Amino acid sequence: MAITILAPAPAAAALPPRDHVRDSNDDDDSDNSDNGGVNLQGDFDKGSRPAKRARHTDIITPGETVTDDSQWMRGHGTYIAPASTEIIATVAGTVQKTNKLLSVRPLRARYTPEIGDLVVGRIVEVQSKRWRVDVGAPVFAGLPLSAINLPGGILRKRTETDELQIRTFFSEGDLLVAEVQSLHQDGSASLHTRSLKFGKLRNGIFMSVSGMGGGGGVVRAKRQVWMIHTAGGGGEVDVILGVNGYIWISKHIEAAGGDTAITRIEEKISSTVYSSQNDEISVETRTEIARIGSVIQLLVQEGVKIEEETISKAYEAAVGVASLNQGEGSGYLGGELGRIVMADVGKSS
Amino acid sequence: MPLDTSSYSLALLRLDGRRWNELRRITAQISTMPSADGSSYLEMGNTKVLCTVTGPCEGGGTRDRDRADIRVELAIAGFSGVDRKRVGRGDKRVSEMVSTIQSTFASTLFTNLYPQSTIHISLHVLSQDGSLLAALLNASTLALIDAGIPMRDYITASTAGSTSSYSSNDESADPLLDLNTSEEQELPFLTVATLGGSDQVSVLVMETRVQAGRLEGMLAVGVDGCKQVREILDDVVREHGKEVLKSGRL
Repeated sequence: MAITILAPAPAAAALPPRDHVRDSNDDDDSDNSDNGGVNLQGDFDKGSRPAKRARHTDIITPGETVTDDSQWMRGHGTYIAPASTEIIATVAGTVQKTNKLLSVRPLRARYTPEIGDLVVGRIVEVQSKRWRVDVGAPVFAGLPLSAINLPGGILRKRTETDELQIRTFFSEGDLLVAEVQSLHQDGSASLHTRSLKFGKLRNGIFMSVSGMGGGGGVVRAKRQVWMIHTAGGGGEVDVILGVNGYIWISKHIEAAGGDTAITRIEEKISSTVYSSQNDEISVETRTEIARIGSVIQLLVQEGVKIEEETISKAYEAAVGVASLNQGEGSGYLGGELGRIVMADVGKSS
Repeated sequence: MPLDTSSYSLALLRLDGRRWNELRRITAQISTMPSADGSSYLEMGNTKVLCTVTGPCEGGGTRDRDRADIRVELAIAGFSGVDRKRVGRGDKRVSEMVSTIQSTFASTLFTNLYPQSTIHISLHVLSQDGSLLAALLNASTLALIDAGIPMRDYITASTAGSTSSYSSNDESADPLLDLNTSEEQELPFLTVATLGGSDQVSVLVMETRVQAGRLEGMLAVGVDGCKQVREILDDVVREHGKEVLKSGRL
C-alpha cells in the first residue's frame, strides 16, 4: 500500500519566537522605583528585579530559576530545592522583591486574605458561637459571635441568649460586608463587623468577579466603598468592592443622623440592622443598579481593573450611550454597545 | 494497514507523513473560561481536550487535614472516538487515567500550602486520536498554572512507541514519538511524563508487550518528547502572561 503524506496545514496559532531580551523594553517602566524599601502600598515594582538577572522577560514560569544567589530569601510563589541555593518559581507571574525577600506574584490566583481587607462574603454555615463565611478564599473564613455589633449597644456582654438566637443575626445564605481581623496558621481568616460600615447587606445585587491578581478584577484601592449619583432619577447607589472579588451594588440608605461616633452606636444598633427585609426600591433605582452591574461585567470581560475610577468612567459612558439610544442599553452591555462604551472610556482616560 | 509491514522501511515516513522523532502539532490556550479559577484547551494533533480547575476551595471532606485534596473528573464525549459509544463513569480505563493524573499532581503541586481544601480538575475529551493520557496531563498542567496553584515544575507528557510489534521480534525496530490512534492500535507504546526539562520521570504507563531491549530507546525518545512539549507549553504561558501585562491588568 502506498504511503500517504499529508500536506502540512498552516499552523492555527503560530507562536512568535520566544524572546528573552527584545521585548523587555516595550513594557511600561513608569513605576520602576528601585528604592529597595518596603513598598507600603502593597503594590509591586514591575521593573525592579534582582541584579543577578538584570533584564529578562517579565514573566517567570514554574520551574524557572529566579536566582541562585544565596543572599535572597524566598517568599510566596517560590521554593528552594533540597541541597541547593537556587530559588525556583512555582507559579507563572512577575517577580516582586521586598528588601531581600523574593516572591513571584501569580498572574491569576484565588484570593488570599490579608489583615485589613474589606470583603463581601456569604454565610455558609452557622455554628454555636460563630459563622463560617465564604469569601472566595481556599478555606472559609470565620466570623465569631463576639466580633459583631450586638443589638442594644457596643458594651453589652455576649450572653447565652445571643448564642441561642444566633440565626436572628445572620443565617445561611445571608450576605455581609466585613473586615479581615486576623489570620490563622492555615491561612483562614477571622472577620469582624464591629463598625457601622460593616454588617448585613440588603437592597441590592451581588456580583462575583475574580479578586486580587485575577488578571483584571478588583484591586486593593484607597476607596472600596463609595456612592454613585445615578442618572435618570435613580438616586444614590452604593457600590462595595470586596477585595476578594465579591461586589455588592445597592440602593443608598441614609443612616439616621449620619454620625458614626462610637458613643452613639448603641442608639443606632437596633434589630433593623439585622433585618433581611428589603426596602421599597423604585424602578429607576433598579435600572441604575442593573446598569452598574452590567458596566462591571463589561469591564471584567475587557480585562480592565475594577476600581472606583474605571467604574465611574464606564458608568458615565454607558449612561451617555443609553440616552443616545433612547433607553436602549440599560441592560446587557455586550457586542456593539460594549464597544462604544469602552471606546468612550478610552477617550476620557 | 499495519505500519510494520513494508511502508515504513521504504521511506522512513509514518502513515501521517511524520518522521520517527516528530511531534504532531500542539496548540494550546489558557484562561479560556473566565468563570473558572483556571482553564485550558489543548490540541495534540487531532486529540482535543478541555480542562477546568476549580479551587483550592473548601468542602468535600478532605482525607488529609494538612494538605489539599486533588479530585479529578474525566468525561469522554461519546462523539470523540471513531465509533460512537458512551464511556461510563465506572470504566476501568477512565478510572485508571483519573488516578494516574490525581497521584501525579498530588506529588507535584505544593498541596501543603492549602490545608483542608480541595482542588478539582475537570477534564473533557472532545476528540481522541492517540496519546490521550499525555494530552490530559498537559492540559491539566496548563489549567493549574492558570489557576495560580504552586507547583514544582511543569508536568509534560508524550507517548513513544516502537516501529514493529512484539510478535515480529524485530531487533532493529526504531522508536517512534507521539503516536496517533492507528499507530497505538498496532504497535507497542508507552506514555511518559517528566517533571519540567529534567529527566525525572513522574508517570510511566505501558499496557502493551515489548521486548525489554527496545524499552530503553522508547523511553529516551519519550523523555525527549516531553522536553519539546515543555517548551511549547512554556511559550503558551509566556504569551498569555505578556498579554495580561500589556493590558495593564496586573
